Amino acid sequence: MNIDIKHIAKLSRLHIEEEKQEKFESDMQKIVDMVENLPDIEDAPLLDESNPMTLRKDVAVTGKFTRDELTKNAPHVTAGCLVVPKTVE
Amino acid sequence: MVEGYEVVIGLETHAELNTESKIYCSCKNQFGLEVNTQVCPVCMGMPGALPTLNEKVVDYAIKMGHALNCTINPVCKQDRKNYFYPDLPKAYQISQAEVPLCQNGYVDIYVDGEEKRIGITRIHIEEDAGKLLHSDKFSGSLVDLNRCGVPLIEIVSEPDMRSSSEAKAYLETLKSILQYLGICDCKMQEGSIRCDVNVSVHKPGEPFGTRSEMKNVNSFSAAVRGIDYEVNRQIEILKAGGKVEQETRRWDDQKGISVSMRSKEDAQDYRYFPEPDLLTIVVDKERIDALKAEIPELPNKKLIRYIKEYGLSLKEATAISENVDKAGFFDECVNNSNVSPKSVCNWLLGDIAKYENANNISVRDTLLTPSKLVELIKIIDSGKISNAAGKTVFDIIITKDESISDIIESKSLAQISDASALESIADEVLSQNEKSVNDYKNGKTNALGFLVGQCMKASKGKANPSIMKEIIVKKLSE
Amino acid sequence: MELYNLSGYELSRMLKDKKISSVELTESVFSRIDSVEDKIEAYVTLDKENALNKAKEVDDKRAEGKELSKLAGIPIGIKDNISTKGLLTTCSSKMLSNYVPPFNATVMDKLDSMDIVVTGKLNMDEFAMGSSTETSYFKKTKNPFDTTRIPGGSSGGSAAAVSAGEAVMALGSDTGGSIRQPASYCGVVGLKPTYGSVSRFGLVAFASSLDQIGPIGKSVKDTAMLFDAICGYDEKDATSADISHKSCLSNLKADVKGLKIGVPKEYFSKGIDDKVKASVLDAVKLFEENGAEVKEVSLPSTDYALNAYYIISSAEASSNLARYDGVKYGYRAKDYDGLIEMYEKTRSEGFGDEVKRRIMLGTFVLSSGFYDAYYKKAKLLQRRISSEFSDVFSDVDILCAPTVPTTAFKIGENIGDPIKMYATDVCTVTINIAGLPAMSIPCGYDGNGLPIGIQLIADKFNEQTLFNTAECYENLVGGFKSPNL
Repeated sequence: MNIDIKHIAKLSRLHIEEEKQEKFESDMQKIVDMVENLPDIEDAPLLDESNPMTLRKDVAVTGKFTRDELTKNAPHVTAGCLVVPKTVE
Repeated sequence: MVEGYEVVIGLETHAELNTESKIYCSCKNQFGLEVNTQVCPVCMGMPGALPTLNEKVVDYAIKMGHALNCTINPVCKQDRKNYFYPDLPKAYQISQAEVPLCQNGYVDIYVDGEEKRIGITRIHIEEDAGKLLHSDKFSGSLVDLNRCGVPLIEIVSEPDMRSSSEAKAYLETLKSILQYLGICDCKMQEGSIRCDVNVSVHKPGEPFGTRSEMKNVNSFSAAVRGIDYEVNRQIEILKAGGKVEQETRRWDDQKGISVSMRSKEDAQDYRYFPEPDLLTIVVDKERIDALKAEIPELPNKKLIRYIKEYGLSLKEATAISENVDKAGFFDECVNNSNVSPKSVCNWLLGDIAKYENANNISVRDTLLTPSKLVELIKIIDSGKISNAAGKTVFDIIITKDESISDIIESKSLAQISDASALESIADEVLSQNEKSVNDYKNGKTNALGFLVGQCMKASKGKANPSIMKEIIVKKLSE
Repeated sequence: MELYNLSGYELSRMLKDKKISSVELTESVFSRIDSVEDKIEAYVTLDKENALNKAKEVDDKRAEGKELSKLAGIPIGIKDNISTKGLLTTCSSKMLSNYVPPFNATVMDKLDSMDIVVTGKLNMDEFAMGSSTETSYFKKTKNPFDTTRIPGGSSGGSAAAVSAGEAVMALGSDTGGSIRQPASYCGVVGLKPTYGSVSRFGLVAFASSLDQIGPIGKSVKDTAMLFDAICGYDEKDATSADISHKSCLSNLKADVKGLKIGVPKEYFSKGIDDKVKASVLDAVKLFEENGAEVKEVSLPSTDYALNAYYIISSAEASSNLARYDGVKYGYRAKDYDGLIEMYEKTRSEGFGDEVKRRIMLGTFVLSSGFYDAYYKKAKLLQRRISSEFSDVFSDVDILCAPTVPTTAFKIGENIGDPIKMYATDVCTVTINIAGLPAMSIPCGYDGNGLPIGIQLIADKFNEQTLFNTAECYENLVGGFKSPNL
């Protein structure tokens, strides 16, 4: 299967530099060629009933973290909010 | 049908569940708090933080599934929906794709005097995203993540609606059911119910047309406006010989128009796959059944019953059925008694509603019981006390646990029905109002009302008005 | 013998008996770091001041006669993808080069409560994607047995630090062999626990359904001691198993009499170096001589496991690493015009090439039109692989196989060829796919004096069998041999 590097890069929000493009494409194609070798296998939903999950009780816990602690790693914060370029969908 | 076209509408409705904590972390689930104060490493998507599923969310979704007559899948899972957006900190939304919690249901709605059944494709659980805030004074956008992880159910209907009024009735019905189950606050202004609308049009007898999906529909009235706009837009295109594009559009309610967001070619590839941080959700049959047992008779069933069996108007039936306390009170009054449902309805939507609103409480929080209301209605119907006296009794029994007969006695509220007593009042009033008597005799029949009123006044309101009237008519014709 | 070269188990006794203090031990380890770190480059971040303060605190507690854990006062290094509150956690990526977590991983909370001394954060392949620690943004860690060679990866810093005496023990993480493979290359003991036995809360995710944190030590007892400390149910990790764990150290029984050992033939086929094959089979023979029953077994889907592994792990990684967008934490590009460009520049500048390849492979296998042929098929194969192991374990107690097909390769030898690099994981990835516990212990040296590892594999939650077998082997052939540095 051929991989459309430009489309996949766009979906991944990645940009591959011009000078690396060729090597990248050929490496990616080799990897895809490798992994697509899989045996035929009967289709079924991906559900594993044997391993059910324990659910959490609905109890709210407050005051675990301050806003400053949680936003101190952010590159740009104003008035307690994270800042991004103007975005209106 | 609009001008030779049939309209097909399907709705995807998102309802925020009113749990204590968020769906995947123990942050408080509350609207309107200071920005970024109801967050933690989990709902902020910090590296290494992991989700845990709130069991209440599963319970609430199953309840809604029962209410909408769905099949509940005892084994299901969650999937990641991947897309980049600043209000989605993990860059994926945890949702359900392959196997939803509930599917294949229906709901009966009442529209234009008819019952109609709308199919429910599925109900699944997922997390809400944060909010972007914009300000003209600021060049960027601000991100508030408080809403991240607020639990949602998405209710997907079949394309079974044929007009905007059906869509509205469907949404109103969902809302009343959510309120009945007590699982959603249904505060439209806070965005606790939102929907995406799928609309297509086609000529009768032809296959369904190409649909457009409309987002950002934030109220039921906006849904009606948006659908009507979209239907007209598509018909105009078809009339002009054009083709409707499959696309996602955004409804701008202020301008009253929808604008294209992205075409089919630009459709997002969400790359759904099973959420590896969460294992399979397995709900045992006992729990599914126990949740079903907690479902009361639902408002849409009651609504139809009140109209058909009791002859209430749509407005009255809606007002009572949509409120779980009123409906319960109403049912208790009407069952096992022979009072008129209409009288009970009048009390519930009149004086009782007035009292509830003034004191911001429910009828169930007052000392009035269904059996007392029934007793009061019966006493009034028998003529023992007047309507006015009935209201006096009501004002007492809604706050005090006193017997109605004691109140009637202590306040001397019983009506005078004794003919000789009423005749002496009539004689006195007629002798004092010669002008009115003459007016009546000269054909001014409305003088009768005045005279009866004067008699009532003279009796301090205790005279039985219908007997009083009979006596006066008799005397005037002598 | 210098303190830094002793096993954690011995040091634990000496500390308990007050023959040494934690401050002495910690100073010994840091002086070793001072002398060899230039050559090895195992650490991304050293935390000497806090380490010495903690050591002093532990010594004081001990002097007061307080009951302390076995690990109290022992200097332990932490792989840099395990969240440490207040201490840089970079995943050896430019993307997180300035990220200081506001919370601890559950394993760190556990170790803190046991009063361990954290030496610092250990180098790794970027976001644990790699088999040589060469994809680290910061530095290339060297193999202590030959500093022109790689230490393995992705937990290369962890294995090299333990081997070189720069930490008494270390935590690593293993998604497709990232503990066992570097342990094998660096001549130390490494355990990848059963999926679900150690909490992943706070482990920066690479592939959530495969990742496990595990211990690396100089001896089997060290590894058991550290595993006992970190395992157990955690309500913050929905994939953690709600079962009770008995202490593997207390129940250690160095005996293989009657043990049924399976030798899976697919693990000895083409691509396995002759010397590696011979060393592993010698170890099997030694078990047999000591009372074990040995038989050949077959796991037919093994040949496809590497492919399924790269599909599943990359798919999950593409989603797990989407959160690095320059908004909430970590690196953000300097110049950009609009949101999309900020995302693309931030991610393109913040991630290295190997991470980009995995993200793109993962995006591809999940994308519309390819999901069924790649991702779904791989997940269905995963089931088949698991059931093949279940069948085998109804017949045998443990499996013996090579950990890696060869010994440590030269720095730069495979870095330009992803396919060759991926092939070094061929013996380890299947275990992660099946969620089983497995351990690598040293079992000899090649002609260049480079360590060879034997991989022991058991059924789910059967770590005790691994420890017992490994302890028996260690007793028979002798323990850890330090490299000449």
